[in-house]
Amino acid sequence: MLIEQFLQALTSGILLGCIYGLMCVGLAFIFGTMGVINFAQADFMMVGMYLVLAIAGSLLAGTALGAFAPFLAAFLVGPLMFGIGYLLHRGLIVCTTGLRIANQIEAHQAQLILTLGVALVLQNGALILLGSAPASIISPLSYAAWEIPLLYNDFNVLFVNKAHTYNALICVAVTLSLYWLIRNTRVGKSLRASADNPTAAVYMGIDVDRAHRIAFGFGTAIAGLAGGLIVLYYPVQPLVGMDFLIIMYAGVVLGGLGSLIGAFWGGFVIALVQQLATLVLPLQLQNATVFIVFLLVLLLRPQGFFGRTVDRA
Amino acid sequence: MRKLLASLSALGLISVSSTTGVATAQGQEQVTMALAMPLSGAWARIGEVSRAAAECAVADINAAGGIEALGGAKVNLVVADVGGSPESAKNAAERLLAEHPDISGGVGAYVSSFTLPVTEVTERAGIPWLTLSYSDRITGRGYKHVFMTSPTSVQQAEDALPTILALAKQATGGKPDTVGIVMDNTPSPVGFTEGMRDGGLEKYGLDLVVDQVFTPPLSVAGPIVQQVRSARPDFLLFLPTATPDIKLILEQLTQFGLTRERLPLINNGGPMGTPDLLNVVGEHLLEGAMFITANWGLKGQEDFTEHWKECTGLPWVTQDISTYGHFWLLKEAMEMAKSADPEAVTQALHDMKLTEGPARFFPGGTVSFADNGRRENASIVIAQWQAGVPVTVFPPESAVAEPIWTGQ
Repeated sequence: MLIEQFLQALTSGILLGCIYGLMCVGLAFIFGTMGVINFAQADFMMVGMYLVLAIAGSLLAGTALGAFAPFLAAFLVGPLMFGIGYLLHRGLIVCTTGLRIANQIEAHQAQLILTLGVALVLQNGALILLGSAPASIISPLSYAAWEIPLLYNDFNVLFVNKAHTYNALICVAVTLSLYWLIRNTRVGKSLRASADNPTAAVYMGIDVDRAHRIAFGFGTAIAGLAGGLIVLYYPVQPLVGMDFLIIMYAGVVLGGLGSLIGAFWGGFVIALVQQLATLVLPLQLQNATVFIVFLLVLLLRPQGFFGRTVDRA
Repeated sequence: MRKLLASLSALGLISVSSTTGVATAQGQEQVTMALAMPLSGAWARIGEVSRAAAECAVADINAAGGIEALGGAKVNLVVADVGGSPESAKNAAERLLAEHPDISGGVGAYVSSFTLPVTEVTERAGIPWLTLSYSDRITGRGYKHVFMTSPTSVQQAEDALPTILALAKQATGGKPDTVGIVMDNTPSPVGFTEGMRDGGLEKYGLDLVVDQVFTPPLSVAGPIVQQVRSARPDFLLFLPTATPDIKLILEQLTQFGLTRERLPLINNGGPMGTPDLLNVVGEHLLEGAMFITANWGLKGQEDFTEHWKECTGLPWVTQDISTYGHFWLLKEAMEMAKSADPEAVTQALHDMKLTEGPARFFPGGTVSFADNGRRENASIVIAQWQAGVPVTVFPPESAVAEPIWTGQ
């Protein structure tokens, strides 16, 4: 029975870890490239959840693939959110970032206040436009599971939730694609150059503001995509972002500020600790254990798991 | 000089009556009743439903001729948003009374931790206040102007187990032996289960085989449900308070094969029966789930149910039938007092012994208040999701459907 419980908690942790990982990647993408701590990231996720909710109902309706409509909707929401992020940067965020900002410390304060303002506008705007009633996608996938028999005992079975598994696969695929994009494409190189040394990047003919716009767009798109996947099993309401905000920040810091892969592992580790802790500690301490591990990592390895990019930031 | 004194005293009276809302004269045009509810923040949706019930009640009272004893005075409803915290609730109550000094009585604020500060303010102002909140503290402070129509939380907890066991016996003829508890650590479920853990379960011969308490919000419910699956209790006290947690746990229970056909599930509180929950969780997962509540759609209210649907826009009668009934109780008190003076209305509520009229909106069909403001003979009802609608199934005299207790 103990082995079954351990395997069940491990499976839950791994599947949840992938979605936490993607959430953290979005935040890290923006911070790693622009040095902006985006307080509106969780609310971009909320917007993505509502958009998927609006789109999913009309996709693949009445077909055998109807259950997969939310996943398709999440992929459609990604580009839409990219556009929103791109325009938001062009209209607002650019005022507090880039080379024109002389004092980076003061710029950080302005960035914090600006992104916090965007978060409040999104939350209250959603409250006014959409109301406070929670909404969700009701999908059979969210309560369907593959039952994997455990060989040592006929009565013990490992349940692997289908919605969480599809979510996890998408999250891993998106993270690897982003990593490949950053390492191997011209856009990725311009993003890395803008992150490493914006002034030198300008001398090399790179449009740093454009690179920042793209980075902000990608970060927003990832948040929207992650939200679109979460809404499959977690109801959305205008303040839902608050439930995930701390996990996102903890994951990014744990992985190493600004590191894409580090952020993914940070979120992944948080989910694993959260689930495995339930085996030995009371459930009420589930979230407390996350922060104990978080503090331990900060004490023993302040730069996080993948701290190299701290120098860059 | 005599004329001057007479004029001054007349002015003084006028001034007093306009600031305290005293209105004893026949032919008064309107009386003001207040509703204080959370219309923003995490409880906003609950507040919106309550407002719909209040607006429906006021419209019905006015359509029925208003307050007859006051010459057909119409009821004017003023609404205050108490926000999402006790501090904002207190500020909202103070603002409400400052902006509307003519309030004759009020209703609210749903969440006990909001009702406590609101009633501190209204008590000081001497305004009679009715609430469906059920924390014992609300009516345990010696206040004279606060009236509670629900059973208190302690009483609900004490009544819950014998009521559940009676329901199980009625439905199956047998008695469950084991119970599981899955709850969050917010005040409502903690208070509800306190007495059960302290000997209450033992007293009724129930063995607690799984006890899972978590801090909301949950990320996944797998570990919790795994424990339930291992222990397989005869029924589960299912006490999460947040909608996301309810959805997560119900999905996991179903995924692990613990559907309501196999595991009877009982929640405490009206939010388990809201239309919003149906939209979020779905009919399939809710089917068979039961919940204990202070009020719900009762037998004998069939005609009213249709009116309620039209008037409030809600698909069924929720526990906000209490909110609806509270305004009718205020109206009745004014009829008895022949006045809209808050003190006279308060006294009328204390003297009230109703067995008809607005009493039909409350389980048991009687309304009278003890000195501390608690409704006498207030009792709990159990409702159950059946075919996508939560219907009252217990006690039999209030039930509109037979309870389904499966899993034995």
